[in-house]
Order: sequence, then structure tokens, then C-alpha cells
Amino acid sequence: MQENIQPPILTVSNLHKKFGPSEVLKGVDMVMRQGEVVALIGASGSGKSTLLRCINRLETPTSGTIRFRDSEISGSDAGLDLNQVRREIGMVFQQFNLFPHLTALENVALAPRRVLGMAEQQAEKEARELLEQVRLGAKADSYPAELSGGQQQRVAIARALALRPALLLFDEPTSSLDPELVGEVLAVMRDLAREGRTMLVATHEMGFAREAASRVMFLDEGRVLEEGPPEQILEAPREERTRAFLARVLNR
Amino acid sequence: MRHRYKLPLSFRPGLRCILRCKNFMHPIVWPWEKRLSLLRFLAALLVFSFLLLGVHSAYAESSLQSIRNRGVLVIGTDATYPPFELKTGDNFEGFDIDFGNEIGKEMGVPVRWDNINWDGIFAALQTNKFDLVISDVVITDKRKKEMAFSRPYFLSGQTIVRRKEDGRIRSSKDLPGKLVTVQQETTGQYAVEKLGLPAQQIRKFETMQDALLEVRNGRGDAAVGDLPALREMIRKGYPELETVGGIFVHENYAVVARRGEPELLAAVNEAIGKIMADGRYAHIYEKWIREPLPANYLVGLDKVSSQGTPIAEGATGSSFTIRWSLLRSVLPLLLQGALMTLWITFLGLLIGIPTGLIVALGRLSPFRPLSLLAIVFVETVRGTPLLLQIFAIYFVLPSLGLSLPQFVAAVVALSLNSAAYIAEIFRAGIQSIDKGQMEAARAVGMNSRQALRWVILPQTLRRVLPPLTNEAVALLKDSSLISIIGLSELMRVGREQASNSGSPITIVLALALLYLLMTLPLTYLVRRLEARWEPISRPRVRGVRSRQATS
Repeated sequence: MQENIQPPILTVSNLHKKFGPSEVLKGVDMVMRQGEVVALIGASGSGKSTLLRCINRLETPTSGTIRFRDSEISGSDAGLDLNQVRREIGMVFQQFNLFPHLTALENVALAPRRVLGMAEQQAEKEARELLEQVRLGAKADSYPAELSGGQQQRVAIARALALRPALLLFDEPTSSLDPELVGEVLAVMRDLAREGRTMLVATHEMGFAREAASRVMFLDEGRVLEEGPPEQILEAPREERTRAFLARVLNR
Repeated sequence: MRHRYKLPLSFRPGLRCILRCKNFMHPIVWPWEKRLSLLRFLAALLVFSFLLLGVHSAYAESSLQSIRNRGVLVIGTDATYPPFELKTGDNFEGFDIDFGNEIGKEMGVPVRWDNINWDGIFAALQTNKFDLVISDVVITDKRKKEMAFSRPYFLSGQTIVRRKEDGRIRSSKDLPGKLVTVQQETTGQYAVEKLGLPAQQIRKFETMQDALLEVRNGRGDAAVGDLPALREMIRKGYPELETVGGIFVHENYAVVARRGEPELLAAVNEAIGKIMADGRYAHIYEKWIREPLPANYLVGLDKVSSQGTPIAEGATGSSFTIRWSLLRSVLPLLLQGALMTLWITFLGLLIGIPTGLIVALGRLSPFRPLSLLAIVFVETVRGTPLLLQIFAIYFVLPSLGLSLPQFVAAVVALSLNSAAYIAEIFRAGIQSIDKGQMEAARAVGMNSRQALRWVILPQTLRRVLPPLTNEAVALLKDSSLISIIGLSELMRVGREQASNSGSPITIVLALALLYLLMTLPLTYLVRRLEARWEPISRPRVRGVRSRQATS
């Protein structure tokens, strides 16, 4: 695996997040470079979701810094336009969160139309292309309720792509899918990885981590315990806790 | 009133779905929500009306004999009219009360007084709620067709009330072109109508007090009513008002009985004659009118004694059949009333829905003063009767310097009232939308306003449609309370016609039908809309393909 010499796109330093008395993130440090696919693994409650949600500021960090491209985005200064930040960081949720009152096409085209002010025809054309890309061109006019879970999640991915984000966050994108539907979503995500998208993926799919990730980070009790190339972390982890976690996940 | 079907929020059909099932994609169909067809309902209505007819005939033997058997004479009165009848504490008193008690004495039975609103008084007499009405009722030809009158017992007439030293009004000739207030369906109203004033210059109120209040508040120019009663009311509570020009229409009060009861009428006439002859009448007169009985007064009463209903005229015309000819003649009026009802309800919703939405957003706002303000508004409106709100807006605001015309006051009251309920509907609707929707919207870079506009509200609207329709139906029915301020909406027109015609059954049935005709299409419309949005709000089951084909 070649060394990534791109400049960092995301730098997280000493990030803390408390919910009331319980501290979920206890000083996370991480760096992502252009084109990297980082798999974020760890037990439930280890802070994977919270980390992702802090990065696109659905949660406000308690302390620490997040640099995205050239700006500091963890604070709440007046100059910081969170909506602008979020346009450049796409997010795919565990529960899809599609807009049920809109068709697949409208789900994808909504943000370009209303946030970027793109013309309707142009937005629809691009949305159609994105749906083709996630192999759902035929379902453009279906409502979410008419789609399977896997199809819904692929629409959600197309929606996240619509604003051409520099960074894509995936919050356990296959965890709420029936097993037979996981494959189609992972296939789309592999396509994206191959295209060179920068992706941070919280996942329990070790197969995906092994094949598609350039790097794996193991999050344990609110800290990055270990990180490295997939083959190293998944096959020869240094830390005992990583081994224990992998044994639990892989023997399931 | 409204709280009856408002209070248990979780039992209201539309919200039930939102509140009970977390996932709105699986609406619950309750067994009692099965369609109640219009036909079935009308059938029930008919059966109900026949039942009423049957009940009536069981009581139909009221006459002098049955009064004596019963041992009590029941007299109806509207005790809001001093010095003739008023209530102090639990006691009735006044000229008519003393006079009626003397009639009872002559007939050998004690009197029980029943208090009732003026506009329902004749209907109640017709339905045997009491034996006689003594409530300074003036003999008119119109009333003679429906009821029987005793010989007159009081000489009176219509006079004008103005604000003190309002030089514009000196006599009845000055009334055209002015706004004149009256108590509805009184001879005061008829006298003003006879002067040729158009309907929009006559404001009708449930009580004479409200009519006087209107003049005092400066919204009416003059009030018209019975001289002795007005004199007494002004003396007691309206130092700003005065009567002017004396009596301009002479009229005579009589005791009212149902037609077809000649024995009772004869006994009443005989009693009146005795009371006038032996000095009791003079005593009552001086006690309540506060002046000596004029010298030739009793002679005058004797002269007009033939104005009462002749005893021999005894044909019993039961008023308990549906009178189609009456229906035909009042239908245009009722339809006008229905239009007014629809119009004020429509305007109430037109203003109430956006206002309610704003209040709901205010209530959900993180800015504390704003949400507190919204809570205070909602709870104040929901915690007080609509009738009181209407009354306050129309009759009390003027004393604070804000005098709204009838129609505006009606629309304001309905708007504010519905806004409070609608705000709660919207709040429940918005809060029922999954948190992930807002997050997903924010995650694609929308600000909170855009997220609300394009993601949250469209879903909320679909969800609140059923409870919103319930609110529309409730508001349409509640708009009947507007009748208190004298706006001619359906309920008021109906009540006027019912008391006027003496055939309440016909009018009440017609009213019920008209209200149904207005509310049923509304519920039907919503069912259609819900069906149209089915693919969005239901799991993917049947009917999905067809929607796809049309889109």
C-alpha cells in the first residue's frame, strides 16, 4: 500500500464529548487525507456515532478541535457557517432518514434545489445520474415506503453525494438492513471507494473494512486505541482489546 | 361547548394515530371508526323526530283540569326585564310576577315560575314546558296566529333610548339612517322594521341589556324597546342613556296560552278582571311602576279587552308536524344564515391555521419568552369557554377603547379560538416527526428554516390533516355561539324563526340537516385526501403501482 501524501482534509485533535455526566469521547485524535477510506470499528457505545456526528456538527464537541480543510469547525464563532460546512460533508445514517413525502428523485434533488438554488431541470438531471450510479435509475419515482431497506440506503447515499461533498461520513450504513440486502449497499460503497472518494465509515462489516478501507481505526471507550492498514489491524492487532473485539465480531 | 369533544387529546381520532403509534406508517383502524353513511344518519334523525312526536302526545292533555289535578300553575318568563320580571337571588319578582301570582290565587293553585330565554319562550310553551307565558308579551297579529292571548293587562308602547343629549335623535322620524339596537323578536324589533329601516341598520340582541350596552358603547345610535322596562333599566344601570320622544307605537301586554285551551283562557280572563276590579292591580302598578295609577288607565284597559283571543276560537292546530309551507318560506333565510356560518368559519380557519402554526412554532422555539407567550395564549384560550371569549371581544373590549364591528368581532373570536387548538395540533404533529428527519435535512446543509419548510412541515401537514378537519368541523358547529352578538349566522336565524313561527320541530330538523350538509362534505374531502397520500403514509402494500403509473 502506497503512502498517502495528500494534505490532510480532516484533523481531529483531543476531541471530547460529554452527554451530561457521561463522557463518550475522551480525547480522540485522527487525521484523514484526500482519497482515504477509513473504517471506524469498535463495540457499540465506543463512540463511533458520536465522533461522526461531531465531525459534521450534528453534535457540538465539549472540547478539542476539528479542522476541516482550512477551517476550524469545532467552535461556535459567529464567522463559522455550519450549513456551509455540512454541504461539504455528506452523511449517511444508519436509519436512512429518507424524506418519506418525496420520491427517490426528489430526495436526491432537494438539497441542490433548495440549498444551492440549482434550476429544477439541472437538479433532476444530476439526481437521475446519481440514482443511476447507485443502480436505482428505475426507482426514481418511487416513494421511500415503496423501496426495500437496501434501496432506501442507496437513495440516501445518492442524496449525500448530491452536494458533491469533499468528505462522506457513513454511520453504520448496513446495521439496520436484513442480511440479504447488505451486499448491494456495500457494493455501492466499494464503487465510491474505487472512485477515490474520501470516506469515513463506522461499520461492523469487517469484510468491507478489509477490502475497501485504506486504513482501519479501532475506537475503544472514547479513544482511538489502535490504527493502521486493514491487514495489520484485522489480522495482527497489537492491543489485547482489539483482539477481543475482533474475536467477538468475527465469531458471530 | 367545545371542551366536551376537545379535552381528552388522546381520544381525538386524528391525533390518536400520532400519539398512540410511534410509527405513523401503521395507522390503527378502530372498529367504531367505520363509515357512518349519510343515509343511515338521516334515518336515525327521522326516527328521533317521530319519537319526539310520540312523547309530545303523552303530555297533550294540559288544560284547566290538569292544572288543578297537578296542583300547580307553571308560568314561563324571561326574567331579564325589570320592572316586569327579574331575578334577585333565587326569587322572581316584578310586576308580572305579582300579577301572575294573583292569577294563580284566583284559580286556586300556587304558581311555579320557569325562567327561560326570550327567543325560546314560545317554543317552550308550545311544547308544554309550561301552561302560560307572562313576560310582558305584546299582542300582535302575527303572534295571534300561533298563540292565544288573554285580555290585555298593561298599556305600554315602544320608545327610543339615546345617549344623553345626543341631539340627532329626537323622535322615531330620526331613526332611519341610524344604527338601532333591539332585543330580537320583540315588538321593539317589529316597530323598527315598520319604520322602514333596512336589516343592516337593525342590530338584534338576546337581551335588552346587550342592546343598551351597544348604544352606551357607541356602536349603536339608539335602542328601541318598551317604555316602562327601559325606564327602569336606565334608572338602575345606564346613567349615560335617556328615553326620548315618549311612546311612538302603542301596544298592550297580555297573558299567553296555547291555542285550543279555551277553559284555561277563560279562567285567566276572569282572574284578570277580578284583580283589576278589587284594587290589587293598582297596588301592583304603584309598587313597580313607581307612580300612581293614572285615573282612566283601567278604563283604557277595558276598552281594549277585545284585543285578546276570542274564547270561542278554539281550533287546535298541532304545531308538531313538519310544516312544509313554513320550511319553504324560511328556507331562503336559513340558507343565508348557513352562508354566513360557512363564511365566518372559513375566515376563522383562514386566519386560525397560519396563526396556529406560528403559535406552535413559537411554543417549540428554544427562545424561552416566546414559548412562554405561546403557552399562555394557548392555555388561556383552551381554558375559557368560547362563549365568554366572544362576549369579551365584543362587549368588553369597547370599554378598553377597541370597538370591533359585529362581523369582525366574530371572525376575530373564531380565529383566536381555533388558532389555540390548531397550535396544539401542529405542535403534536411536528413533535411526532422522527428526529432523524431534521438531522438528515441539516446534514445536507439546510438551515433550520429550510428544513422546516421543505422537510418537516410537508410531513406535518399530512399528519395533522385529520385532526385539523375535526377542528374545522368543531369550529363550524361552535360558530353557532356567535349568535350571542347578534350576527345572523345559521343558528341565530334558526332560533329567530323557531320562536317566531311556533313550530320549532320543523326549524330544528332543518337546522340539523343544514349543519350536516356542511360538515359531512368536509369529512369526506379529508378521507379523499388521505387516500391520495396513501403511498406516503402507509406501508408499501396495495395500490402502490397505480400511484407510480400516474406520477
